[in-house]
Amino acid sequence: MPSFFKRHKRKKIDKVHNNKKEQTKKEDSKENSSQNAAGPLNRSLAANLEVIKQKTGSSPDVIIRRLMVGGGPPVEIAIGYVEGLVEEQSVNDFLIKSILNNDDIEVKNGEEILNKIEKDIIALGSIERVNDWEKLFQSMLSGKTIILIDGSSEAISANTRGGEKRSILEPSTQNTIRGSRESFTEAIGTNIALVRRIINNPNLWIEPRKLGTITQTDVSVMYINGIVKDEIVEEVRKRLDNIKLDSILESGYIEQMIQDQTMTTFPTIFHTERPDMVAGNLLEGRVAIFINGTPFVLLAPAVFIQFFQTPEDYYIRSDIATATRFLRVITFFISLMGPAIYVAATTFHQEMIPTQFLLIIAAQRDVVPFPAFVEALIMEVTFEILREAGIRMPKIIGPTISIVGALVIGQASVQAGIVSPAMVIVVSITAIASFATPSFPMAISIRLIRFLFMLCAATFGFYGIVLAFITLLAHLCGLRSFGVPYMSPLTPFIPENAGDTIFRRPWWDLRERPRLIGSKNTVRKGNNQKPEPPAAREMSSRKGDGDEI
Amino acid sequence: MGMRYKKILLFLLIICITTISGCWNKKELNELSIISALGIDKNEEGEYVKTFQIINPKNVAGALQGGGGGQGPAVTVYSATGKTILDSHYMGSTKISRRLYMAHTNLLVISEELAREEGIIKILDAFERDPEIRPTTTIVIAHEAKAEDIVKSLTAIDNIPADKVVKTLETSERVWGGELKVTLQGVIKKLTDSGTDPLITGVRVIGDPEKGKKIENIQASELDATLEADGLAIFKNGKLINWLHGDNARGAVWVLDKLKKTIVNLEWEGVKDVIGYQVMRQNTEVSAAIKNEQPEITVHVRAEGDIREVRNPVKLSDPDVLRKIEKLAEKEIKRQIEGSVEFAKENKTDIFGFGDEVHRSYPDAWKDFGKDWQETVFPEIKVDVKVDAFIRRTGLRNNSYLSDYENSH
Repeated sequence: MPSFFKRHKRKKIDKVHNNKKEQTKKEDSKENSSQNAAGPLNRSLAANLEVIKQKTGSSPDVIIRRLMVGGGPPVEIAIGYVEGLVEEQSVNDFLIKSILNNDDIEVKNGEEILNKIEKDIIALGSIERVNDWEKLFQSMLSGKTIILIDGSSEAISANTRGGEKRSILEPSTQNTIRGSRESFTEAIGTNIALVRRIINNPNLWIEPRKLGTITQTDVSVMYINGIVKDEIVEEVRKRLDNIKLDSILESGYIEQMIQDQTMTTFPTIFHTERPDMVAGNLLEGRVAIFINGTPFVLLAPAVFIQFFQTPEDYYIRSDIATATRFLRVITFFISLMGPAIYVAATTFHQEMIPTQFLLIIAAQRDVVPFPAFVEALIMEVTFEILREAGIRMPKIIGPTISIVGALVIGQASVQAGIVSPAMVIVVSITAIASFATPSFPMAISIRLIRFLFMLCAATFGFYGIVLAFITLLAHLCGLRSFGVPYMSPLTPFIPENAGDTIFRRPWWDLRERPRLIGSKNTVRKGNNQKPEPPAAREMSSRKGDGDEI
Repeated sequence: MGMRYKKILLFLLIICITTISGCWNKKELNELSIISALGIDKNEEGEYVKTFQIINPKNVAGALQGGGGGQGPAVTVYSATGKTILDSHYMGSTKISRRLYMAHTNLLVISEELAREEGIIKILDAFERDPEIRPTTTIVIAHEAKAEDIVKSLTAIDNIPADKVVKTLETSERVWGGELKVTLQGVIKKLTDSGTDPLITGVRVIGDPEKGKKIENIQASELDATLEADGLAIFKNGKLINWLHGDNARGAVWVLDKLKKTIVNLEWEGVKDVIGYQVMRQNTEVSAAIKNEQPEITVHVRAEGDIREVRNPVKLSDPDVLRKIEKLAEKEIKRQIEGSVEFAKENKTDIFGFGDEVHRSYPDAWKDFGKDWQETVFPEIKVDVKVDAFIRRTGLRNNSYLSDYENSH
């Protein structure tokens, strides 16, 4: 539905970006020319090695091994790699050893030996020729091994990537009871492979690129050709190409650079550390962005309701999944408005509280010296402090903090009459509810907005809450993620996709991919997939005597 | 330019939203005195005496947990006088430290004396007009007592006296049928209607009202003073004129179709009160007809119930006996209803809403009857009471053990 894409706005942005692009290009070329290392390699090995030494500042982890090759007049070659980025064993076994064992090769010049080494000697899968400095450094610093030959202006780069990396562990943020136990690691190659293992299809396409002018971070865009909407891939490419940052240290750098709308607390790009979640989203027509150095993979476009869904929703029965999704919607409202409703009801609308309940609250509030709003604010801020401290502090101190937190906030403050027990209950329920939201960025954004709701409730009561809620709805409906309305398929309402929002229709009934996100191939499965019990043989054979039921 | 204009407009709109809205007012809970019941009397000088029953939340059981709890009474009562109802309300603020809050007032007590002499019509406007008071507030008449005596009495079990009275009416209406829980809006509606008049339940203090104010009253197992629902006050032209009691009161509740459950005692073979027939369900339909240019009312009662007590050996296993008992029950219910109708006719006040029924069915004819319905037409009206009573069960057994006892002796 192209009408949902705001083309006119995008053009404007493009113009700005293009101008910037040109500017930065100019700057880049200036920088390079001053350093004397751009352009093609030299024919002389010694000169080449000198440039490497100079460019890397003679860093000790850049290893250069010089060898003599050939039976005739021996030709000097050099093998260069970065220690720790390569798998030392394959460098030793498949490069150095094989070259040394082939002493008897007859060679006339560097070009020939290059051919020989490339074709006959190296026992590694992925090799390529390099003939300019930029590419040489890029491959060497990403863990490849470089073979330079005296008398040749070309070098061989062999893939020996390896070194120490974290093994694949269970996900630590998006846990499920049922489903895959794998989670991404910091190595991009491993991460891509994890998804490849799930989707065994040649249409799973990957577009690599390097981002970050200094860090030269590997970033890959992954999508399923034939399901993804071309416009979205094009948009992702364009936004990624526009990034001119010196460094990409985490997926968050990219997320913040490519999101549609910056004036919002809501996440408009999803991130996950679960390969199965990436696979599921690719199959819905989304684009995944892998970034080297982080276990979090970005998924775009993201819609609001997606942040309340878990991969497990698709693994368990649909009725149970629907029930849990309803629960999450309830917790969303509790964590958004819990304290606000309490403040509004106890300071503006006492008539709405049942008498007995009002008396209980009134008795507790009698000793509290602060207005309900201040009381709520104290408790909420205290809780946020506790939560924040809990994340950062060393694990060993954990129990101490929880004891202090529970005793000081839960008991002492109530006994001292600073806050009322009812308020402690409200804040606790709200806190727990906010953690029931599966997505952390969504939960924290709700928590932030909660303070706004409390303020509105304290000044205008329910009226203020309603005003704040209308504003929030308007804001959410105005958000877009890569052109897709954030609240879709709820608003705009797309009946075909409404089966996978708050509800989750059973798999045999879930026919369509999200309309606004994937387009080419909207149908997920064949017709009439509803499982039926087998026709009982007894029943059909007995038809003669017991029919006309 | 356009953006800036839009932003200013948005800002102005937001300002408007916050200022043009209706009444809103911040009131902290610990700045409120929550009124549970209001009593209205008239003193010798002709001024209204308003009695406020204010809840002391700390002393209400259940709220005791946190704050160490007070030992004092659940409610504190203040009185204030004034020339009007509102006057007396604001005079109350000279005695009470907190803002008077009436949204949780669920009982309004009017003294019998006031209701008889001045009537209730002029009083109720101040309550109906007030945005805080609920239209569903229950109204009772202090029977042979001052309203303040009712409001001041402390009660056990339900700590808040207003709660006790309201719950008593609710329960009694449900299981006995001799009382009615009427609300402020219900009374006003019936008062302004020419074809019907309100019935309001009376509440009286049994015992010494002075002792009822003391906390010692609720520390004994038998209270020195208790509040008891007693009778239905009948009104004419907004003034209390008489009381319905016992079977007459229940008859009125039958006709009004407010009765849910009740017990009817039946005579068997000349002995009174032998069989207890418990009505489980009933449905009453009142219909009007005009015959010979005179309105006639038919009251059709359909009751279903169980036999729950037999004091003499009655052969309940015999269907003919059950049919006979059904006839007896019909007769007894009919007697109660007719007694009530006769009483109303004598007092010339249509508490049943027969006039309304005629008005609804014959709007044209009502033009003739309507003017002097209460005075001349209603007292002469022919009321035909039809009762169908059914016995559905006889409890856990049919023939009583009394039959075996009789046989063995």
